[in-house]
Amino acid sequence: MNDQRPLYVPVILGTTRSGRMSAATATLMVAEIAKRPGVTTDLIDIATISLPVDDAGEAIKDSRFADRMSSADGLVIVTPEYNHGCPGLLKHVLDSCLKEYIHKAVGIVGVSAGGFGGTRVIENLLPTMRELGLVTIFWDVNVSKVHEVFDESGALKDTAILKRIDKFLRELVWMSRTLRYGRERIPVDV
Amino acid sequence: MTKVQNGDGRIVPMTCAGCGMKMNPHAEKPVDPVTRADTERVDAAVSALIEEIHQCPDCGNVQSRRV
Ligand SMILES: Cc1cc2nc3c(=O)[nH]c(=O)nc-3n(C[C@H](O)[C@H](O)[C@H](O)COP(=O)(O)O)c2cc1C
Ligand SMILES: [Zn+2]
Repeated sequence: MNDQRPLYVPVILGTTRSGRMSAATATLMVAEIAKRPGVTTDLIDIATISLPVDDAGEAIKDSRFADRMSSADGLVIVTPEYNHGCPGLLKHVLDSCLKEYIHKAVGIVGVSAGGFGGTRVIENLLPTMRELGLVTIFWDVNVSKVHEVFDESGALKDTAILKRIDKFLRELVWMSRTLRYGRERIPVDV
Repeated sequence: MTKVQNGDGRIVPMTCAGCGMKMNPHAEKPVDPVTRADTERVDAAVSALIEEIHQCPDCGNVQSRRV
């Protein structure tokens, strides 16, 4: 295994809504991941991925998104809670890949206007993560009352969230590193 | 259905298209059929298509094949 290669853990911003407040959370996650030695990241804004809507799944793969998923060792999905589920367009984008995700770590960040920090959308996403072949971690980040956590410019007002992000990322990086070892070294057929 | 396996049932590793290295077969993912052609290739014993996933230990490239 080439241990010199840094881990790549991109952040997916899971809504295209203009005025979306989840964007500030996604930007914060990118900044926090970028502080970790040996880990690279960037923001994948699903608003920049235009997929057809007359088909679904791998038939409509976007090569740029697929390449980034293929290179990823772990994923952070930042999703707002829309009627207790995830935005339909996020699911459409996630469904466009499969082999690219297998045995890779994923952590979910829920964002909500309400007081439950996207708990319901996170729980809703878990079965989909499993079917996509992703491995979920046991930490989440819950951003409740997002308008109180960030100001209008997107600056963080409530720094209490940083400790939770730190625990979440420690676990995600450990899982990403461990699964990369397994993907590159441990055959399934032994 | 193509079986890409050694006589002992072990998976034959794919070769990395990026660097030529022997890859590690780390997963056999059950995949639901989408097209009519897919449905005809379903492995009845497991009620799914099986996609082998291989990763290159040197450059990290991911490749797969349906078996
Ligand atoms: C279609 C829709 C459904 C929503 N459903 C919920 C909900 O179930 N629970 C909740 O706390 N907030 C809900 N919200 C409010 C969002 O949590 C709020 O807009 C928040 O800022 C995060 O989403 P955003 O990134 O789109 O701004 C909903 C918003 C929309 C647009
Ligand atoms: Zn290679």
